[in-house]
This record gives sequence, C-alpha cells and structure tokens, in this order.
Amino acid sequence: MIPIRYNLRNLAVRRATTLATALGVGLVVFVLAAALMLTEGLRRTLSRSGQPDNAVVMRKGSDNELSSSIANTQVGQIASAPGVKKDADGRPLAVGDVVAVIFADLANGKGKSNIVIRGVTPEGIAFRPEVKVVEGTLPRPGTEEVMVGRKIARRFEGLDLGGELELRKNRSAKVVGVFEAGGSSYESEVWGDLDYVAGAFGREGMVSMVRVRLESPALFDGFAAAVEQDKRLGFDAMPELEFYEKASEQTAVFITAMGVIIAVFFSIGAMIGAMITMYGAVANRRSEIGVLRALGFSRTTILVSFLFESVLLSLLGGLLGIAAASTLGMVKFSMMNFQTFSEIVFAFEPTSEILISALVFGGVMGVIGGFLPAIRAARTAPIEAMRG
Amino acid sequence: MTLVGLSVKNIRRNRLRAVLTVLGVAIALLAFVFIRTTLDAWSTGAEHAAQDRLGTMHKVSFTMDLPRTYFEELDGTRGTVPGVKAATYQNWFGGKHPVREQEFFATIAVHSDTFFDVYSDMAVPPDQLAAWKEDRQGAIVGEALAKQFGWSVGDDVTLLGTIYPGDWKFTIRGIYSATRRAVDRTQFVFHWTYLNESIKDTMPEQTERVGWISTVIEPGARGADVAQAIDAKFEEHDVQTRTMSERALSMEFMGSFGAILTALDVVSGVILVIMMLILGNTIAMSVRERTNEHGVLLALGFRPKHIALFVMGEGLAIGLLGGLAGLCLSYPFINGMGRWIEDNMGAWFPYFQIPIDVAITALLLAMLLAGLAAVIPAYRASRLDVIDALRRIG
Amino acid sequence: MSAEATKADDGHTKPRADKPTIIRCQDLGRTFWRGKERLDVLEELDLEIPEGSFEALMGPSGSGKTTLLNIIAGLDRPTRGRIEVAGKSLGDLSEAALAKWRSQTIGFVFQHFNLIPVLTAVENVELPLLLTKVPASERKKRAQTALRVVGLEDRMDHRPQQLSGGQEQRVGIARAIVHDPKIIVADEPTGELDRQSADDVLTLLERLNREFDKTILMVTHDPAAAERASVLRKLDKGRLS
Repeated sequence: MIPIRYNLRNLAVRRATTLATALGVGLVVFVLAAALMLTEGLRRTLSRSGQPDNAVVMRKGSDNELSSSIANTQVGQIASAPGVKKDADGRPLAVGDVVAVIFADLANGKGKSNIVIRGVTPEGIAFRPEVKVVEGTLPRPGTEEVMVGRKIARRFEGLDLGGELELRKNRSAKVVGVFEAGGSSYESEVWGDLDYVAGAFGREGMVSMVRVRLESPALFDGFAAAVEQDKRLGFDAMPELEFYEKASEQTAVFITAMGVIIAVFFSIGAMIGAMITMYGAVANRRSEIGVLRALGFSRTTILVSFLFESVLLSLLGGLLGIAAASTLGMVKFSMMNFQTFSEIVFAFEPTSEILISALVFGGVMGVIGGFLPAIRAARTAPIEAMRG
Repeated sequence: MTLVGLSVKNIRRNRLRAVLTVLGVAIALLAFVFIRTTLDAWSTGAEHAAQDRLGTMHKVSFTMDLPRTYFEELDGTRGTVPGVKAATYQNWFGGKHPVREQEFFATIAVHSDTFFDVYSDMAVPPDQLAAWKEDRQGAIVGEALAKQFGWSVGDDVTLLGTIYPGDWKFTIRGIYSATRRAVDRTQFVFHWTYLNESIKDTMPEQTERVGWISTVIEPGARGADVAQAIDAKFEEHDVQTRTMSERALSMEFMGSFGAILTALDVVSGVILVIMMLILGNTIAMSVRERTNEHGVLLALGFRPKHIALFVMGEGLAIGLLGGLAGLCLSYPFINGMGRWIEDNMGAWFPYFQIPIDVAITALLLAMLLAGLAAVIPAYRASRLDVIDALRRIG
Repeated sequence: MSAEATKADDGHTKPRADKPTIIRCQDLGRTFWRGKERLDVLEELDLEIPEGSFEALMGPSGSGKTTLLNIIAGLDRPTRGRIEVAGKSLGDLSEAALAKWRSQTIGFVFQHFNLIPVLTAVENVELPLLLTKVPASERKKRAQTALRVVGLEDRMDHRPQQLSGGQEQRVGIARAIVHDPKIIVADEPTGELDRQSADDVLTLLERLNREFDKTILMVTHDPAAAERASVLRKLDKGRLS
C-alpha cells in the first residue's frame, strides 16, 4: 500500500490546482446541502404544527384549511366520536378555527403578500400548549385584538406590537401580542378571536377544519370510521401529522427536485474539473509512477492510490461545502405555501444526515472523476521511470 | 499563421484536457441557461401580462368575494367609471380531476356573455364559442389541458368540487389557444350561471357572488388612474375593493417567490464560479507545463505581453468553444424539456423556452469568465524569467 | 568603430583577424545569489569576436559558458562590465528594446530543439517573423526558403513528433536563420543527437558560417563538435583560459 502521506503531499504541492478543484466540488456539495436543508426546514416547520395524537376533520374534497368549511353545529358531532380525549372537566378536546388569507403590506415596501389569519377560541389556544406569548398579551376573547406569529412580526407593515390591521373598514384589528409556537407554521400566522375573524370574513357559524385530540394515535381508525360514516355530512378525517405532511409535499417536492437537478448538473461540471486535475497529476508524475511500478507496486495499488487521492481532494471540497452550508442555519427563508397561497417562513435546517449525505455525494464525485485518470496511472509501464 | 492563430493552436496541445474543459464549461453553461430560463419563465408571466386589463377583488383577501352587482357598476356600457371599456366577472371554482387529483389546473366559472371579449388573448373558434354559449354545462379548456387529459370537443367530463362540494358534470364545447405568452393554456372555463344556480339550495349565502371582476380599459387611459377610480367608487360601500393591472398582480404573486428566485439567482452565480474554477485550473496547468516553451518565445524576442496575450487568447478560445458547445447542448435539451413543462405545468410556466438574450449572455459570460480565469496564469506567465524558463527543460 | 569603416573593410578574401569585431566584452562579471551565498559565475572576462567567425566555447559544468552565451545573446545582463554586440551597447537597452534587438540580431539554436509541438515545421520557422511587419505570404515564403536551406523542403508540414531528432534540430536552425540575424548562438546543439545527425547539423552550421557569413557562437561539451569551429575558447571557473 502506498502511504496516504504520498497523496497528501502531492495535493499540497499542487496547492492552487488542489484548491480550485476542491472549491468546485465544495460548491456543488454546498448547493445540494442547501436544497436538502431547505426542504427539511419546510418539512419540519409544517410538521411541528402537527401532533401525533391529533386528528383533523375537514370537508370531503378539500385538501387544505382554506377551502374546507364545517358548520359550527356539526363540531359537536365530531367531538362526540369515539376516541376523542376529554379534559379534566370532561369536555372533549375538539376545536375548530376559522382560517382566511389576507393581503398585508410587506414592511420593506415591496408590495403586498398573503398571510394566514386564524380565528381561535380560548380553548383553541389551550389546545396548542406550544403557543406562548413572548411580547404583549393574548388577545381578549370577543374583542378586535389579534396576536402575530414571531416569524412574520415586523416582516409586514403594522404586524408589530401596537400595530393595526384593517380587516374591515373603520374596524381595524389591534396587535396586542407576538407569539411563538415551537417553530411551527403557526408562527407565520395572525391569530384573533374566532367570532371576530368569522364576522370579518363572512364566515359566521362556520369553522374551517376541526382538530381533535385522541386518547392515543392508535384510536385514529375508529375515530375516522365514525366521522366518515355519515356520508351526508361529507367529512374526511386524517391524522394531523399526515395533514401537514401533505401540506408540505408539493413545495418540498418542488425544492428537492430543483435542488437535485441543479446539483446533478453542477456535479458533472465539478467531476470534469476533478478529472482534469487528476489527469494532470498523472501526467506530471508519469516517471514517478514508473519508478513505483519498477519498485514492484502493483497496478491495483497504483489505481487505488490515485483513486484515493481524488477522493481526498473531493472530500476536502465536500468539507468546505458542508462547512459553508452549516452557516445557512441562520438564514430565514420565506416562501409561498402552495396550499394556502400565503407566506410561510422557515429556516435552513442542517441535520447530520443531510451534511453526511452531501459529503458522501462529494466523495462519490471524487471516485467517478478520478476513476479514468487512476486507470491511466495504473497502466503506466515501469519503463517510464527511465524517461525524462 | 498569425499571433492569434498561434495562441488558439495551443488548445490542441492536450486534446483530452481541452475536450474535458470544453465539456465542463458546456455543462456548466447548460445548467446556467436552465436556471436563467426558469427564472425568465417565472417572470414571463409578469412581463407579458396585460397592462390594459385590470382585476378588481375584495380589498382584504383574495378568498373573499364581491357582490355581483359590482359588475354592473363597472361594465363599460352601463357603468360610470371613466376609462373602463368592458368588464367581466369570474369565480374561482377549485375543481380537481376526479382521478388525477395532484395535477393542478385553474377552474373558473365565468360570465359567458363577456368573458372572451375581455380575455381576447384566449382565442376560441367562433363555432365552438357559439356552441358553448348555448350549453349551460359546457366548458372551454386550454389546449395544453386538453392534451394533458386527452380531452376533445364533445367529451363529457366530471370534476370534483373542493370549494363547492360534489361531482360537477361538464361537456367540453371548445378549446382555446393563447395569443400571448403569459396566457395559461391549462385553464378550465365554464358558465358562472351553472355554478350559481346549482348552489342555490345548498349554499344560498354563496350565490350572486363573484370572485373578481376584470375590466379592459379604453386605449389611452392610464391603468393606475382607472384602478384608483374603481376603488374610489366602492370606497363607501360595505365591501371595499382592490384593483390592479394583471401585470402588477403577477409581479406581486412573483414577489411571494422572491426568496426562491433569489436563491436560484445565487445558484446560477455559483455555477459560473465553478465554471471559472475549471477554466482557471486548466489554463494554469497548461501554462505551467509550457514554461520552457514560453522561455523560447521570450528568447526569440517575444515580449511578456505577447506571452500574456497567448494565454488570454487560449483561455478565450476555450471559453468560446465551451460556450458554443453549451448552447448546442442547451437548445435541444432545455427547449425540449420546456415543451414538456409548458404542456404539463402550464399553470406555472405558460412559456418555457430559452430567451435569446439568455443565450447571448451565456456565451459572452463563458468568454468573459474564461478571460478572467486566464488573467492570473497570464500574469504569471508574463513574469517569467527567460533564463529560468529555459533551464526548466521539459 | 563606425558603420562606414566596417563597410569599407568588408571582404571575403581578407584574413579573419582583419574583420571588425562584432562581439566585445570588457571586464564582464556576473554574480548570482543563492540566498546569502554569493556565486561569481563570470569574472573579469574580456572577449572579442570578429564578424563571420565560428567559435566554440568549451568548459566543464558550472564554468559559466551558458551564462556567457546568455549575456551575449541579450537574454541575461552582466552584473559588472561592458558588453557590446553588433554595434549596440546592450547595457543601455531597455527590456523592450533588448527583446526587439534580439529578434533582429540573434538566432537561437537549443540543445532540446524547443520546437512548439502543436505547430508544423514551417509554422515553427515562421515564428520569429511574427514579430516583424513582414506580410503573411512573405513570411511563409521566407520560412520555406529557410527550410530549403537546411534541406527539409519535404518535411514542411510535419509536426515535431513526426520528425527525427536531427530533423528537429535542423528545423531549429531554420528558425534561427529565418529572420536573417547576424549572430547565431547555439547551446549544445548536438547534445541530444546521434553522431550522424550531429555531423549533419555541424556541417550545416559550417555552411551558414561560410556561405551566409553568419557569426556563430556555440557552447559544447563535444570535442568533435568543437573541432569543427574555427576558433576554440575554453572557459574555466568564470575565466577564459
């Protein structure tokens, strides 16, 4: 076996070339990792909104909270289905929100964007213990007060403590609080009193979707069967996690597909870069390889050594790439959620799986890019040692 | 042979490396053109969107609707807002294909008397249009949508309602084509009256409502002024409106994707950096191997600037070759894929072809970056000491 | 010595000693520094070479012969002393002027031929003319003539790899004469060649000296090559002996 030192020193000697090639690989790894981190960030943000023991019920045919509507009078029927957990006072844990989308002026003056506004009851807030007011107070029930999610506060005009939001002429909602919700998509929403929001959007007597807490996730099938049984009502039940999974699906597929296509294109470019460098290395060291062969090193050993050098080179780039990608964790990303046509803010999520797989991807680029040059090196005849 | 010829001939020195480099540049360029075309396709919607057509919707939310009576107040013949030539209204229906639920397309219930007058960029053969107006359950679909689901005129189709629950039956009466790039060719258009009458019993509160009203302005009228006049008209009503041109609306919609667009922008820059690294590496390697030869040229009386020019010329030639190869790859690949995208994702990308300015930019960038990548090696080659260079015998 | 005087004295029949001096070195010194270590490669060297002479420079490795050749050819500059070649004091010339002077006055023949591998024989020979204002068609004609002089009229469009070592060196010589320089400097021109090819090359140099009146300065290790020169000078430890 040819010692690794030999490869390392050769890489060090050709500093500029090594660096240029490694940077190329690094950029590819960076782009790939960034796309995966973005998808992961979106997926997590949405899935954090879901709980494993929750189920959602919406009207058949709708696939998001916006298009679904259920009459208030039917909420009781859903709440009484088997499997629904009861609180200390024996009331079933079932809540319905009114969800609408409003135009809001971006704080940076670049026009308007859509944001989700959710009308909730005090039980609705209690239903989600992760919701915590971090500034100001909770909006009082029956008033025109609202609170805004931490991620969109200050991104939009008026969405700040003391700010105002005109939902109806001369009846502005007053922002009294900023809340967080465990990093979930709720943090990209505005929350107000159920009746106020329903009134403002002409949705009196209706809720969008009903959420229930089950005694255990295993009871979902029974619950769903009971709720969906009455065909006239036309309900559709789904575990909450699955609902959010579906909600993120389109956008996640979009980002992943885009990221992977781009990374594949880029990687071909970078692999060619690695190939050029390794061919150069083989050509420069022709007589040296001849000497190694003359000394008795086998073709396989030479092949492995050069392949290894190529992998080292691309791993070096890969490390640079994932190091750069890791710093993206600080960057917030705002995008339209295809489900509600409204903004959702999320962050790049660097997980060890993503970073490792991006690094492995870089290593594979080294193997592929270095393969042909390594074969050329292995084919070097011992006689080359004798030539200039 | 000329000085330029001499510099270009050097590319032949290491054919394998030259081919690999050209290939690398070509692929990087393909990726660049692909991303720029995607970005361009996004903005095509906005750039080619009509400026003379205004949309009026609920001031607070696109999910809320307007009373149908607003239409009468805006209609060109009866209305009172100066500058408005014609108006029509429509409702977002939110229908889905009963089997292929994942495939998104726009379904809208329209005022059949006026719709195709206002949307004159959606061309329907006159006989089909007449047949459609006669059939209350008739529908007109975009050519791309018809292709996607294999629909033709006369077919009965059923859609699944999401906002208006139930199975909705239609008969395809016509297929429209687009006379403007920004027009989505995957829309499903049917009679608003069919919708309105069907929901009288089940959703009485939703009847006589329209999602938004579209108006065409008189030639010479300023869109912004007319929009302001419309909003002012309804200012004292219960429901206020928000009116903007289609172009402004598209721009706003695109704004929601600002972060993605920025990310793609950055990524298209990243590929250029990768391209430059490949080019710079190749040029640096070939210069290093040719130190001795440059020494000979210097001895013969060539000046350092000549050597630098040779290196630059070689770089530019590789950049040009790579650029041309990249365009040769891009056109069949991206435009071929673009056709598929137009047919299957027409709602997002009504037009997906390489814009000529992107192609030219890409070619120029390939050469510019090659030139930049050659600067350092060229500088170093020009700083060569003759004696030193001659001593390093290859 | 004025140009008029040179002309007046010109003539093939006159003995060599009467010819005007074309290369004159006075008190020439060249010092290299390798870090802090001082290396005096040439010291107090005086040398006069008359026009039309064919001289060989011999000496052991490190004796400074290549350095001297480089200085005379205008590739290197002396640390001390004066150098005058073909009527020009090289010390007074700027880098650019020196390069121009070199391209007009000196023809180079290298040990390793140093042909450009991607160019054909005729293109290689044409190379020095690219620096002149000679029109393209004329350049090609002159390059072909030079190749004819060295006897390679049937190898004009071959690349260096397609030529033998001796042929390559003859292309090198054609390149050295194509722009009609007064002086040809040759550093070990036969160093890479077999006996027969070396003989051919030396015969060619002799011819250039006799028929075309070129002053030739040749550095060599090879006694057989040195024998063919009309004057033999020996350099040892930076001094002429």
